[in-house]
Amino acid sequence: MNPLLKQILAARRIAHWQFDADLNIVARDRLAKTMPSLGNEPGGSLLAAFPELVGSEDALMAVIRGERKDLRLEYVNRNATDGDPSYWHLMVLADRATDGGILLAEEVSKLARLQQAYNQQRYEHVLLRQHAALRGRFLMDSILGDSPAICDLRDKIKTLSKVPTATVLLLGESGTGKNLTARVIHHSAMPPDAPLVEINCGALPDNLIEAELFGVEKGAFTHATASRVGLLEEAAGGSIFLDEIGELPLNLQAKLLSALESKTIRRLGSNRAIRVNVRIIAATNRDLQAEVAAQRFREDLFYRLNVVSLTMPPLRTLGEDILTIAHHLLAVFNMEFKKKVDAFTAAAEEKLRHYHWPGNVRELSNCIERAMIFAQGTAIDAPELILSEGIRVAAESVNDWSVPADGIDLDTVERQLILSALERAGRNKSKAARLLGLSRDTLRYRLEKYNIT
Amino acid sequence: MIPKAKSIGKSHPVALSICSFLQISQSGAMFCFMIAIKKKICLLGTFAVGKTSTVERFVYSRFNERYLTTIGVRVSQKLMPPMAVPGNSAKVQVNLLIWDIAAMDRFDAVVENYYRGAAGAIALGDLTRPDSFGQLAEICSRFRSINPEAALVIVGNKSDLQPPNADTAVEIDQLAQQFGAPAFTTSAKSGENVDAVFSRLVREMGAPV
Repeated sequence: MNPLLKQILAARRIAHWQFDADLNIVARDRLAKTMPSLGNEPGGSLLAAFPELVGSEDALMAVIRGERKDLRLEYVNRNATDGDPSYWHLMVLADRATDGGILLAEEVSKLARLQQAYNQQRYEHVLLRQHAALRGRFLMDSILGDSPAICDLRDKIKTLSKVPTATVLLLGESGTGKNLTARVIHHSAMPPDAPLVEINCGALPDNLIEAELFGVEKGAFTHATASRVGLLEEAAGGSIFLDEIGELPLNLQAKLLSALESKTIRRLGSNRAIRVNVRIIAATNRDLQAEVAAQRFREDLFYRLNVVSLTMPPLRTLGEDILTIAHHLLAVFNMEFKKKVDAFTAAAEEKLRHYHWPGNVRELSNCIERAMIFAQGTAIDAPELILSEGIRVAAESVNDWSVPADGIDLDTVERQLILSALERAGRNKSKAARLLGLSRDTLRYRLEKYNIT
Repeated sequence: MIPKAKSIGKSHPVALSICSFLQISQSGAMFCFMIAIKKKICLLGTFAVGKTSTVERFVYSRFNERYLTTIGVRVSQKLMPPMAVPGNSAKVQVNLLIWDIAAMDRFDAVVENYYRGAAGAIALGDLTRPDSFGQLAEICSRFRSINPEAALVIVGNKSDLQPPNADTAVEIDQLAQQFGAPAFTTSAKSGENVDAVFSRLVREMGAPV
């Protein structure tokens, strides 16, 4: 080989192997010897040392004969001794001196890792988008059941998917699936990367909701040390789901109405109007018309939200769908608890069918979860399904309560009552507070006291 | 006494291109010939369909949940079980050189060199991403334009996540018909059908010698 070429190759840290016309290695340079992941002793077969060249024998011979300029393989991936793969560009050239060829190998691991990091991000982004689109499709299937009420609901959602700008008001008891329906409506109508922002209007203190919804300009109040984007702004180009809209304070109802009418918002402490294009999906378990009559909810906002309203059917009206949903939950908890419970006994099915499910699907889910935790066999029997009806009967006869002979811990009783109220209220803290005759703040204090999340 | 393996291929470059690297050895007193053949096969498909996971499952019987994109090409080897040659006492053992090729944004000379000399390919789509099958038609066409005689097997991977639905089943069937290839659904995660796909490809690659 030309000594000058050898020097250039060494300076560029490009290893090389010389081979004859029978594809046997005849020589290799010093650099090649130091590379454990590539190469072979002189006398060995080039194809054994570089299996990447198997199948390219014709092309190799064409290079040797001068019929082809070169043969290149880029980013050949080899396992290095430290476990991390190394990457090589391989190039075969003719070698007139030996009537054979030269194989050049340049390590490009750093470049490959950069390329990999870039591709990784790019592909993961595409996958996320595709999975979001799929999620939308699968979500429609996640509204289980074949009863007329469920079929009607699915039909309406399909129709709504063609009108991605329409405001939707979801009505119905707690635990009937308003949250799930909101997600299905969003994903079935919006592009895969459109945001869906959810806020529970009853879960935040009144003084925080405004900042959460509309955002804050730096300096708006003492602790506003930086500007913050509000949820309405964050949802731009997508949907915002305002859960428990009936809990929204009256002063904010006016501001929300203004934002809906003008499609613009102003951050707290700012005069600048920001245009936002957002689909509103609102939900409540309150009778909003009664709230309007009682002047707790603005009439104009009610009409603005009530463009399309969907009333979620209570579970007790769904007939055999109760069992469909129960079997689905069985499968879910089997996975979660790694159990193999595959059925309900006939008595258990009867019990599920005839209970009135005041907490709807959420209560059914809790009931089955509880049964699954203690399930020993492959089927759940009626006694394992503990319904909250028993608790209700006890609560109705408060005057009969008495302290057991061996005493009772008052904190335990209070904690149990709070849990019961939360379950009855479908985890809605405002509603639970009302059931207990407490203010929301008092309930919040007691939730913290008893470490209830 | 087992004589040293003799390489025929070295002095017959043309033979190399047909059956890659051919070795013949005599084993034991029965004079039963074991013919070892190296065959190059490629795994084709767009990104994240499970090409690397399929190779990992087949060669090393392992699966990694983490998605890591492949760059360039990685060649793995696996010896298939010996097969009897019809009408002959010899047995053939195929050493598969499995080319796990990164998804390519464009087809150029580099890709041609990756595909060159392959006796077969496994073309994978992702059952959870129907569009991955749409891209497979073009990839298979390119592969066949470089290796017109090569065998193909069409695979819908990730059956553990989703069985083929009506759309993907039609797409897989159309691809199979277009390229005269058998079709499988596999799960690199559970191993379902993975060995069957490689065995079928070896059979599809035809007479071993």
